[in-house]
Amino acid sequence: MNTLPRPPDELPALREAWRMPTGWRRLTAVNNTYIGKLYIATAMLFLVLAGVLALLMRAQLALPDGSVMGPGTYHQVFTMHGTVMMFLFAVPVVEAIAVFLLPNMLGARDLPFPRLSAYAYWAYAFGGIAFFCTLFFGVAPDGGWFMYPPLTGRVHSPGLNADFWLLGIGFIEISAIAGAIELIIGILMTRAPGMTLARLPVYAWAMLVVGFMIVFAFPAVIAGTMLLELERAFDWPFFIAERGGDPLLWQHLFWFFGHPEVYIIFLPAAGLVSALLPAAVQAKLVGRTAVVVSLAATGLISFLLWAHHMFTAGLGGLSMNLVSLASLAVAVPTAVQVFAWIGTIWRGTVRLDTTMLYVLGFLFTFVFGGLTGVMVAILPFDWQVHDTYFIVAHLHYVLIGGVLFPILAALYHWGPLVNGHALGERAGRWSFALVFGGFHLTFFPMHVAGLMGMPRRVSTWAPGQGWELPNLLSSIGSVVLAAGFLVVLVEAVRTFHRRERTPGNPWNAPTLEWLPTENFGARSTPQVTSAEPLWDQPNLSSEVEAGQHWLPGTVTGGRETLVTTPRRAALSHLVVLPGPSWLPVVAALGTAAFFFLLTVKWLVVAFAFGALAIGATVVWLWETDRAPDEATAKVGDGVVVPVGAAGVRSHSWWAMVILLVVDGTVLASMAFAHVHVAMAAPVCPPPGAALPDGAGWSAAGFAASAIAMALGGRGRATRRLGGVAIAWTLVAAGLAAWAFTGLFQQHAAAHLDPRATAWGATVAALLGYQGFHLAIMALLAAVLVTRIARGLATPRQRATRDNVALLWHGACAQGVVVALLPHATAWAMA
Amino acid sequence: MTGPASSSVLLCGVLLLAGCDRPSTGADAARGQALLAQYQCGRCHVIPDVPAATGTSAPALTAWGRRSYIAGQLQNEPQNLQRWLRSPRSVVPGAAMPDLGVSEADARDMAAHLMGLR
Amino acid sequence: MNPASTEADVLAEVAWVLMVGGFAVLTATMGVLALALRRGRRPVPSRWWIVGGAAVPATLLAALAVYSQARTAGLDAPPPSGALVVAVTGRSWWWHVQYREGGVVTANELRLPAGRPVHLALMSDDVIHSFWVPALGGKMDLVPGRINRLVVTPHTPGTYRGACAEFCGEQHAKMAPHVVVLPPAEFDRWLAAQAAPAGPPRTDDARRGQRRFTDLGCAQCHAVRGHAEGADAGPDLTHVAGRLHLGAGTVVNDHGALADWIVRVQQLKPGARMPAGHHLPADDLAALSAYLAERE
Repeated sequence: MNTLPRPPDELPALREAWRMPTGWRRLTAVNNTYIGKLYIATAMLFLVLAGVLALLMRAQLALPDGSVMGPGTYHQVFTMHGTVMMFLFAVPVVEAIAVFLLPNMLGARDLPFPRLSAYAYWAYAFGGIAFFCTLFFGVAPDGGWFMYPPLTGRVHSPGLNADFWLLGIGFIEISAIAGAIELIIGILMTRAPGMTLARLPVYAWAMLVVGFMIVFAFPAVIAGTMLLELERAFDWPFFIAERGGDPLLWQHLFWFFGHPEVYIIFLPAAGLVSALLPAAVQAKLVGRTAVVVSLAATGLISFLLWAHHMFTAGLGGLSMNLVSLASLAVAVPTAVQVFAWIGTIWRGTVRLDTTMLYVLGFLFTFVFGGLTGVMVAILPFDWQVHDTYFIVAHLHYVLIGGVLFPILAALYHWGPLVNGHALGERAGRWSFALVFGGFHLTFFPMHVAGLMGMPRRVSTWAPGQGWELPNLLSSIGSVVLAAGFLVVLVEAVRTFHRRERTPGNPWNAPTLEWLPTENFGARSTPQVTSAEPLWDQPNLSSEVEAGQHWLPGTVTGGRETLVTTPRRAALSHLVVLPGPSWLPVVAALGTAAFFFLLTVKWLVVAFAFGALAIGATVVWLWETDRAPDEATAKVGDGVVVPVGAAGVRSHSWWAMVILLVVDGTVLASMAFAHVHVAMAAPVCPPPGAALPDGAGWSAAGFAASAIAMALGGRGRATRRLGGVAIAWTLVAAGLAAWAFTGLFQQHAAAHLDPRATAWGATVAALLGYQGFHLAIMALLAAVLVTRIARGLATPRQRATRDNVALLWHGACAQGVVVALLPHATAWAMA
Repeated sequence: MTGPASSSVLLCGVLLLAGCDRPSTGADAARGQALLAQYQCGRCHVIPDVPAATGTSAPALTAWGRRSYIAGQLQNEPQNLQRWLRSPRSVVPGAAMPDLGVSEADARDMAAHLMGLR
Repeated sequence: MNPASTEADVLAEVAWVLMVGGFAVLTATMGVLALALRRGRRPVPSRWWIVGGAAVPATLLAALAVYSQARTAGLDAPPPSGALVVAVTGRSWWWHVQYREGGVVTANELRLPAGRPVHLALMSDDVIHSFWVPALGGKMDLVPGRINRLVVTPHTPGTYRGACAEFCGEQHAKMAPHVVVLPPAEFDRWLAAQAAPAGPPRTDDARRGQRRFTDLGCAQCHAVRGHAEGADAGPDLTHVAGRLHLGAGTVVNDHGALADWIVRVQQLKPGARMPAGHHLPADDLAALSAYLAERE
């Protein structure tokens, strides 16, 4: 506890460090509150846009032989509806809510990498809007959100449409992965002291699980989109059966991502319910530990289920049965959460305000959708309803019921944190009636239509099959649902335009986001002794506001937050956070422009923008590796901690570790593709192809390069790095270059032809991926050498050297795999 | 300009250029592209931008607009191309390409699309 | 859902079990929720909720899994010997059908004997399609590079409409296969008739039609066994007049349908890989119709 009163200039200095830029410079803001609000608003924009597309679809399908639009247009509309909802609304909104809510809920001043979250947001905003605009030019993707080849291969989809999906969505995933890194590091390393894992809010647990899920799921679709784009652009036949490829390979890669994806979207909503329900009923959450275990179990099991989207593709009986069992099993942890929520309601006092209405709506609709999910896990039933409107009904029950309703409840619950005002209750009840009623009117009849034989993704349907009534009801319902959303939207805009005031704690909620906050979060970071701090620690709000707890001001004059240990949240050190900057915005613009210009084949301009993005990123990272003058900081009376940390205590080091896991998972997905096509071939390597000689040398070269890089870091903890380090770095770069060019030449000598067979294509893809890493390694070596030469690699400024080394080791390990995998596969097949 | 705006302008440009295939004859190249799929020309010819046009038993029609000759005998210009499309065997007896019953209007549109492939 | 095959019977039973069971679980869960909404606070130990929330679903799901495995095993068995073998190849956007017995080739409409297992061998020449006739059972995808199999054992004669159940491009919505289930004797007669090549044209108009069929280029894509062989880019028309529909279920094949289809195919099924014949002179059209109408 700090002595009171605090020095008079402490609070103004804190405010000054966290001041929001004004005017045009607002675009440079990186503060999580600002970025979070912008992010949520943009996601809501995409919800509305994709919702309008849905209204168009229902207009077309209201009557038989619909003529609102032709098949080509309808296919673009339904593809964009699904793609925008899944990639530009659902995942971004759950990440956006976390960006806005989590730091305050954890007692941190901001996310650990504010500029990264700004970059992630702007890349998403630029890319998403450009992607949506393809509709206005008639070149929107039209192969379904799941983009199955061969339909989406270059033969059957020769236009640019599919390329927009592949390059546009492929890069928007960068945003999601950046978000995941922030979440994991933020939750594990920047909590209020005393917030042990046992006291970590359930919502934070949910986002932690989701962060890890993103890390392992998204790379599969990144790999898949890379492969399909290579097939389209260069005719590398990964998915072309005549040359040894397999259309099902895409389905495996896509659904390995796609199934966890829906839980990535649902678990945050479950976390939101677990977070707001105790406040709504004024009772602690029942079975808190079980709920946390359920979140983790759901996340884990969800990775085993992807093949249930392929039950009619002709997979083997044993694997289908196992997947069916796993798909049933995943319902158990979900059921535990549902009963925990019902138990909490039982335990507490219910007030039927809008928040509670949406929670009840969620419970009914999501349980309904979960039960139809159990039904489709049963193979015989799925064989009838797969790819019918029954599935459309199921997915909307779990996504709208299971995710959107909690988000609307969250809007009503946490709305006061936006500008101090809660959304109006009357509008809330009207919206609930319209949304709940409209939703069921729209989607319940789809179960019936599906059972009556109506397949999915049809641009029209023929009369005389009994589908008239369900379709008409669905279309009418969609208008009612849209009206309900309109009410919410109008009310939200109206409320958030009111003059800002302090929210207080209107619902008497227990968690830290309800402390009095400004841009910098709470005035001081609380010492937490309970899982419901605002209930169990009386006077916490006033103590925190007075500055009695940790870090009541700014030590370096800049933005700072406390880093604590992952398990017991003991104070570790102080980290200085970067402030507003144009660099993330420029880098995001450059990245988005690069991918879109590449799609329309304006190569020179594309690479110019790419260079801009890389340049901006290098400068940004250069700036952030700077040790402040102060080596230690007094964060409370009698408590001094180091400023900054290195190695395993450094948050950026761990972020790099997570990035390597993502990178490795992309490689693993591509390796899977290689093994899959190799196993399908009668002979490996196939006729006409050959394994290269000398791959062992390349592998050794990569290993040696990693060792050289490690040797270049000796002594970095105690003295400034100099010429020796530069020399070792150059040796490491040389060895990696030698290893790669050697490998490339060996394959060329073995007449590797990526167009002749899928086997060759996968080997070439692995080689190409490694080549991409070589380019990055070259750039990083140049940056590192420059820093060392400028004398900037000191014991307190180690991030560049440590993170480059980490990436280097990861890339070299991948190089070894790329060199040896084809041989290993062939040997295993023999 | 921000990203989406500049991308949109560039896209506009690209598509306008792509749309520059309405010669003064009144032929509809976009309809011609669809007709090439309907007559299943792609079973023998590779034709860019026509779905499922990957046949290799006849010459590819990539960049057809820059070719000098049709079947090595006729000068490659719209009137000749239409004659060829309507009845290859009356132009070159014994030609491998069959008579597909292409009407005059269809031939005009198909020729317009092909001549636009550069 | 009116099941017309033994496989569809199993699927219907499973569906009813699931729907009744699902409804019961939903009602029970919502009942507990309704109780929870009553005013006042009553203590219930946390453990009850968690153990109940885990144990009851786990038990029900385990029972469901056992039931499901039992029902699935029957459906997944390899086709019995003596099954009728039919190869169905998906093309955008129609179904190429070939019976192994007699080498019969037809399109879009399968006729099957009641009471005999049918082994459908499913392939695709271009993109992924999915063959589905709800009354006869589940669906199975047609994936390029694979031969997938579907076994149906129809028991009730009748006509059953299906759909393509995997998005396959522009006319995915108009790719409906039909299955006509016949009593065994009638099926045998039908198959024998289908195996026969086309007979000579019986009227002058039809004879003209036969010539126009070749001259106008129709024979480049459509085969009429006995008259114009070899083409298979489009449906085999040897016995087209006997089919119930044209264009994969797009229009009913009644009087005048063939002529209408020839002229207006691009309006009835835009993007279909068949050029429209609106430029044909009326007498050519009449001759073609007469010729094709004889192809029963």
